[in-house]
Amino acid sequence: MELLLTALIIAIILFGIGLYGALSQTNLVMIMMGVELMLGAAMINLVAFWRYLHPEAFSIKMFVLVAMTVMALEGAVGFAIATQRFRSSGSVEMEEAADLNG
Amino acid sequence: MINALLITLLFIAGIYLMAVMERWSLSGSLQWAGPARSFLRLFVQEEIKPRKHDTVFFETAPVLFIAVILLVIAILPFGKDLVLVDLATGALFINAALVYIMVSLMMAGWSLNGVYGMVGGWRSIAQLIAYSMTVVMALTATVMRAESMFMGGIVESQQTLWNILYQPIGFILFYLSAMAIAFLPPFDLPTADGELAGGAWADFTGLRKLLFRLGRSVLVLTLSVAVTVLYLGGWMGPWLPGFVWIFLKTLLVAVSFFVLGRYLPRIRHDHLLEYHWKYGIPMALLNIFIVGVLLIL
Amino acid sequence: MMISVQLILLIILGLLSIWFGWRVFMTSSMVRSALSLLASMVAIGALFLVMEAEFLGVLQIMMMGTEMSIMAIFMMMYMMDPGGLGEMDMTHQKNLSIAAASIFSLIIAIVILAVGWGPLATEIPGPHEQNRLLGMEILKRSMMIFETAGITILTGMIAAITVALSIKNNRN
Repeated sequence: MELLLTALIIAIILFGIGLYGALSQTNLVMIMMGVELMLGAAMINLVAFWRYLHPEAFSIKMFVLVAMTVMALEGAVGFAIATQRFRSSGSVEMEEAADLNG
Repeated sequence: MINALLITLLFIAGIYLMAVMERWSLSGSLQWAGPARSFLRLFVQEEIKPRKHDTVFFETAPVLFIAVILLVIAILPFGKDLVLVDLATGALFINAALVYIMVSLMMAGWSLNGVYGMVGGWRSIAQLIAYSMTVVMALTATVMRAESMFMGGIVESQQTLWNILYQPIGFILFYLSAMAIAFLPPFDLPTADGELAGGAWADFTGLRKLLFRLGRSVLVLTLSVAVTVLYLGGWMGPWLPGFVWIFLKTLLVAVSFFVLGRYLPRIRHDHLLEYHWKYGIPMALLNIFIVGVLLIL
Repeated sequence: MMISVQLILLIILGLLSIWFGWRVFMTSSMVRSALSLLASMVAIGALFLVMEAEFLGVLQIMMMGTEMSIMAIFMMMYMMDPGGLGEMDMTHQKNLSIAAASIFSLIIAIVILAVGWGPLATEIPGPHEQNRLLGMEILKRSMMIFETAGITILTGMIAAITVALSIKNNRN
């Protein structure tokens, strides 16, 4: 029992750090790092549930694979947005990105 | 036990030979005492640290470089049941460890706080990301034939026909990618002596440089073992014991790396990436397709 | 006996990943923060290995090495202060973020501790058998989902390229 709880608590703390980073950073690339940390925490949870609760359910591992795909895609699309943003306004600071704000 | 000791000795002799061959590929003359002299010189050389270097990366990069290569050695089989760690995902693990060579070169280049080093580090990322794609795709084809990711399983799948004949496209791709990953002469852009004055390793001196140079020799030998195991039938061969065959084939592959490097012109960086992404990856996919068809037939 | 070794490894690697995850937002050098994230992700991969999901662990370690190096390049390219020479504050709404993160974590922690998880599984298939079963899962039951992942990658590639293309150059 303590094994599962340890893994889940590690995941919670990582998720909290990721959430803090994603909310508090002003730079787009740093925000993406926060999101990556949160996804990593979610993957720890999935693997822990697979290992300690349902070792016969391989769709959990499938879910982890999809989560990794999402991580890579988030990187690709995020960097594309950063590139375009940098080209048009010269910085990727999110405080300055208020063009669509009313 | 005796075998393990013998393999270690043979491996060390192989590393020395790699160092001799590396000198030959640059200078054209075989200096048998050269590596020993240079080893001793680097051992006592003064350790110059660049001003405002990034201490953490500066200290970690050489250690990481040699550590990941030792991890690769640990999973390669040197004979039937002669393997340190028999991972069920061995084929994937090779690529996972080789990715960290790139990370270590980037760390080395960044930590120097100089232009040449940084350019070398970023170049190494572009080059190694591109070439680890073909490595993993060529590995996929061998794994498909063996129906197992154990390195031993891959060797045993070549009982009837070696992979070099079964999937020649994959062999050529893996061979060239191995050269690119070890940044051997036609692909030696991260440490290009001609234009970047040593690139990512530019300002490393003394023991740290020694770790890098030693690590590169070990890396070449390790990748040759990987080529042997994946494509040249590993320990298979008549009369002699398995590990002798592995070493003969490995040395052949390693020497051919250097001979090829001596007589090929150095490729420009943009051409290197262009050839790879435009022709290398489609060829790798074609290779997977052909092997799949052959397996069904 | 084996269980306790696993627990100790879990705690050590978990603390490592948390420490490096914390360093990501606490250092002023951009390359350092990208590589801290890499170290944190490698620790997560090692956690997978400890939890006997060998394929996923190795895959995680492999993918993150590439991804975080690319992230380091982009950090270098787009930051105003890549070397971290000046001590710039790059955060906003700090108190709100700390409050949100800690309250959220606390709520989940309470939920986790309150739920009865039932007995833990002890018998799991060996690594080789796991690889086979995962392949069977991917190509039998979850085949459509895996195909969706492929389509998602294609969509993402197209989206990334279209977004990153320079509009100004197209007009000329």
